[in-house]
Order: sequence, then C-alpha cells, then structure tokens
Amino acid sequence: MRFLDLLVMSVNNLRRRKLRTALTVLGVIVGTASIVVMMSLGIGMSEMQMEILESYGSMTAINVYSDAYYQQDGSSDPNYMTDDVIEQFRRLGHVTGVSPLLNYSVMMRQGQYTASYVNLIGVTRDYMEQISVGEGTYPKMDGSEVELLFGNMVIQNFSNGKRGGSYYETGELPDVDLMGQPIFVVYDMDAYYQSMNGGTNADGTSVKPPKKYLVPVAGIVEGGPTDYNMYSWDVYTDLEALKTQLRKVFKKNPIPGQPTNKKGKPYNYFIYSSAVVYVDEIDNVKDVQTVISDMGFQASSNSEWMEQSKKQSQITQMVLGGIGAVSLFVAAIGIANTMMMSIYERTKEIGVMKVLGCDMGNIRNMFLMESGFIGLMGGMVGLILSYSLSYVMNHLPAVSQVMGMMGTEGNISRIPLWLAGMALVFAIVVGMVAGFFPAVRAMKLSPLAAIRNE
Amino acid sequence: MAEITETTEKKKEPPIIRVKNLYKVYRVGESKVFALNGVDFSLNRGEFCAVVGPSGSGKSTLLNMMAGLEKPSKGEIIIAGTHIERMTEKELVTFRRENVGFIFQSYNLLKTMNAVENVALPLSFRGIPKKIRLEKARKYLKLVGLEKQMNHMANEMSGGQQQRVGIARALVVNPRIIFADEPTGNLDSKTTKEVLKLMRRIVREQKQTLIMVTHDNYLAGFADKQIHIVDGKILKIEEQHHEDEEEL
Repeated sequence: MRFLDLLVMSVNNLRRRKLRTALTVLGVIVGTASIVVMMSLGIGMSEMQMEILESYGSMTAINVYSDAYYQQDGSSDPNYMTDDVIEQFRRLGHVTGVSPLLNYSVMMRQGQYTASYVNLIGVTRDYMEQISVGEGTYPKMDGSEVELLFGNMVIQNFSNGKRGGSYYETGELPDVDLMGQPIFVVYDMDAYYQSMNGGTNADGTSVKPPKKYLVPVAGIVEGGPTDYNMYSWDVYTDLEALKTQLRKVFKKNPIPGQPTNKKGKPYNYFIYSSAVVYVDEIDNVKDVQTVISDMGFQASSNSEWMEQSKKQSQITQMVLGGIGAVSLFVAAIGIANTMMMSIYERTKEIGVMKVLGCDMGNIRNMFLMESGFIGLMGGMVGLILSYSLSYVMNHLPAVSQVMGMMGTEGNISRIPLWLAGMALVFAIVVGMVAGFFPAVRAMKLSPLAAIRNE
Repeated sequence: MAEITETTEKKKEPPIIRVKNLYKVYRVGESKVFALNGVDFSLNRGEFCAVVGPSGSGKSTLLNMMAGLEKPSKGEIIIAGTHIERMTEKELVTFRRENVGFIFQSYNLLKTMNAVENVALPLSFRGIPKKIRLEKARKYLKLVGLEKQMNHMANEMSGGQQQRVGIARALVVNPRIIFADEPTGNLDSKTTKEVLKLMRRIVREQKQTLIMVTHDNYLAGFADKQIHIVDGKILKIEEQHHEDEEEL
C-alpha cells in the first residue's frame, strides 16, 4: 500500500470520530504544554543564573594569584610570578591567552580635579580584548607609549581640590572631560605627598615635587558612570608600555608595590601579584586550573560556581519536567484507550481488509499513524499553547517585579528551538508508543473472527 | 473420485484448485467435531462451482480454508500449483491480494467510503495509484450496472446494489478465483437471480473461477458444477452445462 493512501485512510478514520479524536488530542495538548512550560521555566531560571555569573566575568577565565608576593620568608627566592611564569602559562594546553595584571596606583589630575590612588593596570592584548569599549578605542598595545582606557566609573574618583567635595558627598559627577581635556598622571605618589607635607623625606633631604606626565586617553569602558561591570573601577593600559614608563620614572630606585630581595634591593624584573589565563572551552577550565595550582599558585574561576549552579538547575529542570511528564503520561493512556476503542469498533472492517488482501504491516501502520497523528496534533497545538503561556508569564507585571527584586531581568520562561522540536517529536513518539499495542492487536486479529463478528 | 479423474483427463490444463484428503477438526470440550472429514476434489479454470449443503455441513469451512482464512487440520490445498496450507499468515494475505476475490453474504462494504472507493480499496492494497484505481473501479461498477450509484455511500444503497458493489470489488483485482459465501443470502429472489446471472456472465467472459457456497439447491443449479456436502463429506458432484440464453 502506498504511504499516501495509508495516510489518507488514517486521517479519514480520525475524522470519523471527531469528538473522540478532539478529546484525545486535548489530553496530549495539556501534556505537551505542561512539559514545555515547566521546562521553559527551568531553562529560563538556569540561563538567568548563567547570565548573572557571566556578568561577574568571563566563564573561561582563570584568575591566578601569587602568595609569594606577600610572604617573603628568608630562605630562597619565593615563587614569584614573573614573565617567565606567564610564558609557562601561555604554553599550557587549551590556553588561548594570558595576561599578568601589573597593578599600580597613580594620581590623576585634570584642571582643579584630582583622583588619587587610581588603580592603573598594565595588561596584555589578550586581556584588553575582553573589555568592551564604549567611547573611543582601545589603547595602543605596541609598548611604545602609555595610553589609557578608563573604567566607566573611574570618573567618580575625581574630586575638586579647591572646593572639596567628592562624588560620594555631593552626588554630582565631577566636571571632568576624560576624552576631551588632557589628563596628567603622577606616577610617584609618595614623592608627591612628601613634597606637599614639608618637602623632606626620611633622610631629611628635600623632595622635589614629582614630574607630571601628560597621558593620552584612548577610550572609556562601555557603560554609563553608574553601570557596574568588572572593568568599571580601573584604568587599563599596555603592560609593556607601563613597565617602560615605570622604569623611566624610578630609574634604579625601587618601584612602589614591587617586592625587594633580602638586601632590600629591587629585582631587575617585574613581579606580578595576579594574572588571568584564558582557556579555549569551559570544559577545559578545570584541568588548566589544576595544573596552575600544581605550579604553586592560587587559581580560581567562575567555572566552579557555574558547575554547582549547573547541577542545581539540572535538578530543577528534571523535577519540573517530571511534573509535566506525568500529564503527558496520562495523555498517553488516553491515546491507548482511544485506539483500543477504535479497534473494537472497526474489528469487522479490519477483518474485511485482511480478507481483501491488505498487508498485516499496513494495518499496523495505519493504526500507528492514527495514534501518531493524535500525538502530532496535540504536540503542535500544545506548542502554540506553550508559547502563549510563556509570553503571558514573561509579560505579567507581577513576575517582572519579583525578578527585579532578585536583581535580574529577562524572560523567566524561555522555549528554545530544541525544546520545541523535542516536544513535538516526543508527542508523536508518545502517541505511537501508546498506539503500538493496539496496532499490533489489530494486525493479529483473525480475519475470519473479524468478519463473523456481526 | 471418478469425476475428478474424468475432469482432469478431459481438459489438458491442470486444475486450478486441487483439494486432497482435507480434514478440519474442532475440539469442543472433550469431544472432537469433524467439520470436514476427508474431502477430495478439483476445479478447472473458468468453472462456476457451487458448494451445496445444509447448515453445519462444513461448506463454509471448506471455502474459508480454500481462501486461506482457516488452517486445515490435515490434507492439502493446491491452488495454481501452490500449497496454501503451508503458507504463513503473511504469505496468505499476499496470496489473497494477488489471486483471490471475495464476495460476502453481508456485503461488508466500508461504511465510510462511497461505491467507487469501496471497489478501489483492494487495488490500493496493491499500491496502485489513485487515478488508475478509480478509473478501474468505475469500469467495474458500470459492468455490474451501477453507473448511477457510483458516489453513493454504502448505506444509501439497497441490498442488491450493495452486493453488486461487493461483486465489483471482488472482480476489480482481476482475480483467478472468486469466493462467494452465500452471496445472495440477504437478497430477495428477484435480485438473487439477477446477481447470480451477473456473476456467471462476468466469470465466463473473463475466464475466472467462481466458487459459491449456498444451502439452496435451486441457486446451486446456476453453477456448472455442484459439490454436495453433508456432515463434512462429499455426497456427490454434479456437472451441467448452461447456455447463457436459456436463463434469459
């Protein structure tokens, strides 16, 4: 028998008993919709959680810290994080990028406004690429010159030296034009304060006010002056340029913040307190992290949190999906029942068809198609229902209020395409499985008994 | 026995149906009931054969076994050189689809279909495209004289009309053998005569073999060959030749 003929016959049989078909389909609709909506809630919640985590920083980044930076016991040279170590990190498998963070506090001035203890961080290109720039562009990264990328909230640090009153007291943003007006940077803050307070240092010699450097500003991190992200509070620049600049400023003297050896002399290389290692995929983060820990550094990443929250949301999804599955199971029983009824009604018809030479497989397939059709129709209408329910849930004012309190925004119910597709396939499969035993029963009906049946 | 050898000798063609020593035993509680108790006969191509006997004589059982609807307890049924008693159910369905037409006492039309669709149904089991099969169905409906009722549903037709549809349905697959189980059992005598004549005419024209089961000796008289069965045994086999004109 041709597939099309079989299909037409199945559909005609369903159309014969419209009310019964409709009721059975209704069961599948409710079942499909409950699974999809429940799972969409689970997916929405876990995705939201991920979005919150991602706002804390990249999922594939490992933050590395060096203990040795602070504890300087006498014995041998501590396990410093130097450029050599950074190179070792870079050569690890799955590592796509590394950046040491050279933190250095500076003072910045523009006109009457001063910001002290601004954290200037020298980073490599790998790190810089992670930052999204709002106004302006990325700083030059060729090591030739220090150019600044301002965190979008750094402007809050500037206060008017004459009038006093910072942003925290007045709530007014200082009148500082980062991009338009020149910014001066004082690298040697100690000397600056010493020259302010009488002008002598510990030896009693007078201290000249340190040199101010005019530093070009390349850009500002994306976001307004009150929108927090992990790059908001710092000023970024090219690592190599910053190193060169600091060496130029301090010459042979120790650079503040850098450790010294046992004799109190500075090392002739830079030592970093922390670094960021970028890994190609989330799944590899843990392995790389272990390797770095074994090298004697502290490593942490968001992936640990994420794994936990992933497990949690998986359980949530399973519980929610399970609740939905119960109703689809009930719908499956409904389908089986309908098909059994249909077979009892059509016993004679099936017998006649067998006598007339209809293949047993065709008879089975006809019934399977009918039940599969019930599943398909239920699944499709169920999906439409799910999408509308999901829309209503996402647009209820009460829901968005609660979400606002939780500090998140976005849709609480999300139906990804795979969920919709899977639900449809699942509904059809459930229909066919429920119809399978009735179909086999119909196939095995003895033609003789079937035509005798009056 | 004598008749069988006679008929096989008379025609050079081998018989289309050969039944050898056929038994069918039903178990009713402890006792055994012999529905068929050693039946032997053969039929040639193009013959119109009536199986006659009172109810309970085993005539329907014989028909069902020849059509592959029931398995014999013992014995052989050879149709066109094939032993059908050894076939599986699946093979039997295929065999019926390719070789057999069936006319029922209670017509057994599918109520959800109209006359043309009912006639076209067995063709769809063969996987014949819709256009061709409807064309063929119309042709056979015309042959049985139902040009005007082509699109009537089963319950919109009289018994005689329904049985004509049933006959068209049996003929449309161009079967070698047509089985008819009390085809006129639900019809009045005038219609019965018409239907029987129709059946005989078409079978003769198309050189098909028709086997009809009936309890009515008068109806059996329309056949070329009458096999009388009583208590599961063949009582006698009569042959007579009809000219088409004599019944008209």
